[in-house]
Amino acid sequence: MLKVINDLLHNLPTGILITDKEQSVVFECDGLSAYRQLPLAVALPTNIEQIKTILTICRKYNTPIVTRGAGTGLSGGALPLEKGILLVLSKLNKILTIDPLQRIAEVEVGVRNIQISQAADCYNLYYAPDPSSQIACTIGGNVAENSGGVHCLKYGLTVNNVLAVKILTIEGELLEFNQSQQGIDLLALINGSEGLLGIIIEVTVKLLPKPPKAQLIMAGFADIVECANAVTNIIEQGIIPAGLEMMDKFAIEAAEAFVKIGYPLDAEALLLCELDGDETQVRVDIEKVSQILKAAQATSITVSTNEKHRLDLWQGRKSAFPAIGRLSPDYYCMDGTIPRNKLAEVLAKMAELSEIYNLRVANVFHAGDGNLHPLILYDANKEGELEKTEEFGQKILELCIEVGGTITGEHGVGVEKLDSMCSQFTAPELETFHGIKKVFDQQELLNPGKAVPTLNRCAELGKMHVHNNQLPFPELERF
Amino acid sequence: MLNLLSEQIKDSKEPLQIVGRESKLKTSTNKKLSIADYQGIVSYQASELVITVKAGTSLQELQQVLASKNQMLSFEPPDYGNSSIGGTYACALSGSAQAFRGSLRDFVLGIKIINGEGKILSFGGQMMKNVAGYDVARLLVGSKGSLAVIAEMSFKVLPKVTEATYSIEMLEDDAIILMNKWAATALPLSACAYYQGKFYYRLFGKHDKQQAEEVDNKIWQTLNPFQTTEKEFLWRASVPSTTKKIANTVAIDCCGNRRWIVSEHKPDLAYVEKWEKGLAISKSVKHPAQIKIEQGLKKVFDPHGVYHNKL
Ligand SMILES: Cc1cc2nc3c(=O)[nH]c(=O)nc-3n(C[C@H](O)[C@H](O)[C@H](O)COP(=O)(O)OP(=O)(O)OC[C@H]3O[C@@H](n4cnc5c(N)ncnc54)[C@H](O)[C@@H]3O)c2cc1C
Ligand SMILES: Cc1cc2nc3c(=O)[nH]c(=O)nc-3n(C[C@H](O)[C@H](O)[C@H](O)COP(=O)(O)OP(=O)(O)OC[C@H]3O[C@@H](n4cnc5c(N)ncnc54)[C@H](O)[C@@H]3O)c2cc1C
Repeated sequence: MLKVINDLLHNLPTGILITDKEQSVVFECDGLSAYRQLPLAVALPTNIEQIKTILTICRKYNTPIVTRGAGTGLSGGALPLEKGILLVLSKLNKILTIDPLQRIAEVEVGVRNIQISQAADCYNLYYAPDPSSQIACTIGGNVAENSGGVHCLKYGLTVNNVLAVKILTIEGELLEFNQSQQGIDLLALINGSEGLLGIIIEVTVKLLPKPPKAQLIMAGFADIVECANAVTNIIEQGIIPAGLEMMDKFAIEAAEAFVKIGYPLDAEALLLCELDGDETQVRVDIEKVSQILKAAQATSITVSTNEKHRLDLWQGRKSAFPAIGRLSPDYYCMDGTIPRNKLAEVLAKMAELSEIYNLRVANVFHAGDGNLHPLILYDANKEGELEKTEEFGQKILELCIEVGGTITGEHGVGVEKLDSMCSQFTAPELETFHGIKKVFDQQELLNPGKAVPTLNRCAELGKMHVHNNQLPFPELERF
Repeated sequence: MLNLLSEQIKDSKEPLQIVGRESKLKTSTNKKLSIADYQGIVSYQASELVITVKAGTSLQELQQVLASKNQMLSFEPPDYGNSSIGGTYACALSGSAQAFRGSLRDFVLGIKIINGEGKILSFGGQMMKNVAGYDVARLLVGSKGSLAVIAEMSFKVLPKVTEATYSIEMLEDDAIILMNKWAATALPLSACAYYQGKFYYRLFGKHDKQQAEEVDNKIWQTLNPFQTTEKEFLWRASVPSTTKKIANTVAIDCCGNRRWIVSEHKPDLAYVEKWEKGLAISKSVKHPAQIKIEQGLKKVFDPHGVYHNKL
């Protein structure tokens, strides 16, 4: 047996380390399940001391560590390394304090996103960022990815709602970064660091009062450009909706077939706009938005009549991925973000590409903040279709960069978007990232090889001209 | 102009002191690298809620441009006439609304910088959401001219709101509890403070008539940052919002999170800095491992120590 495993087994209580292949297999991938790899061993520590022990031993043997929360990530961030330990933190799952007067919650890192809101519910408070995976994903994963959700247009991303984090450095030093500290913003740096800088142990989050009223307004459009323009008009009028989501015809049809809640099947595009706040404000805003939608040529407008109706109308959007998943053996979810005013242009180009590649693409997205989730439908069993899909996907990301956008709005780079990072950043910018990594982790033991491509990789890619067959194609886990 | 600055940095034989509009740094004897002339709006599209601005632009100009489209900087940076947005960013200056709307770093979308090797680099962008690469843009908020020249910044901006301020006389501890209680309700608060025996709160948008005296919104400028004519030192402490009355406190801001204290000796609190002329001149104690990280980062951005300022 390997020395590192031996050492770990000796120094950890029984049951913490899993070396058995059968038990490890559930950890071999995250939400991007086409990438699979068994680690040397899986560690499921129950306290900080055990994690420190693991760090000490891994340092000694130069063994890399991949940290994992719930494994719902969509970019392969928690993909194990063949010669590494997978450090699963789901057992650090205690809510340490809820302070209703201070409106904060202090939680261990393995607490699931939804649990925080559930625990705060009795005080009429909640934790705002709500990724669609919130019933499963951990707060640690949320911080590591700086996750967003349907409501982040108004309430911000994870980084805007986290007040403090405690991390263990690779050296085993426990540090707290918080918003009270002067000087450079290390707390912000940890958000979105994809497990490369430190192991997040505890998180303090902001709790917000639940808005007394929320109402949803749904509008169908005969033209997707008109719908995109309506999004711009709403924001131009000084309204910041709690959620502003858009779906194209294909997505509307798939969702309606799946949940049957009365989405307009004749529409080319659908807009869902949620307004929240106190009664008067919501009434005023609903009236304003209705006017804007009418002026923007909406073909149908539905306003939710009660709480159940509101949730029903959301249901279609929330089940869009599985609904589309039913229509195709495989699909590939993209995560590009673009300036809002380029929406119409990008959608038109995407439709052209869809014809060229002869692959269907459904669009559901966080229109309010320009975060696209195009889903490319394909069949992995068809000869050559994987390669075609990948090329199509790359083209979409290039398009995003071209119009001043980014390759990932919320899912992270992980292993999946390493190549696209080469298009988005220059060599000195990537060097800065590598420099930051080394400051925290000189030996490069924490999630090495993820999130930031090496300069060599980018150089080779330049020569190869973006055609690589080595990457298999993702079929998403469906929750 | 950026290329010119870049050349200046590359050629420099002595440490450089980055300066904005120099509303603060008059004492330094170091060679100056002035960003003040790098001014203007790079791009602004109100419907995108995004503005990109050059670092030397005065806060006043920036705010006027936004106001013309009925928008604002939600983090309420303090302005005493001639601050630059770059200096504001470098000093992480935010105002009373931060407990409710967030502070400067919450509105940062991207930056263009010049590092200590004179290289022009961009991080983040103009999108509301962007998780490609580490968040260098936010990291540099509060870097005080120690890591890089901040050349351009993109901010998320928000529709301007109409606000009204009210005050009620009460005891300090009662006010601390009340502001925290109210913050947990749907009341449209944008600031809460306690000053000279009165609880002050500010509401935005439409709301019912208040059982309190309506006062001028200017009170928030007095509080942010607080200045004093007393002989003893002025300290700014960051504390949990519900912390009970602290001795020698002269004002409470940011819904209880920020306490201004006048005393000869340093108050015994975890996060407290000495303030003079509106800026921190001392720092709270940090963990040695954190200091090591910060010094390491200084080397990443400024390997030859061209920028004079310490972290
Ligand atoms: C159906 C579905 C819907 C989704 N919807 C959304 C959405 O709406 N918005 C969104 O943003 N994302 C969404 N995601 C993506 C995913 O849920 C988020 O990225 C989530 O934050 C991951 O949390 P996790 O606990 O599963 O992390 P994991 O997948 O286990 O890990 C993610 C990354 O974080 C690192 N990490 C995890 N824990 C720690 C820690 N304690 N310390 C340091 N690093 C750590 C890992 O190394 C890895 O790089 C969705 C995923 C699925 C499957
Ligand atoms: C309420 C209040 C009252 C004040 N009163 C006074 C006063 O009475 N007298 C006074 O002298 N000052 C005063 N100041 C300080 C001054 O207004 C702030 O320094 C200002 O906000 C910063 O803008 P600036 O252009 O003046 O920066 P500067 O004063 O030129 O620089 C401030 C700091 O930021 C760094 N910096 C500036 N621009 C950049 C950049 N582009 N990139 C990287 N680093 C940069 C500098 O290196 C320096 O560390 C006051 C500030 C406030 C908030």
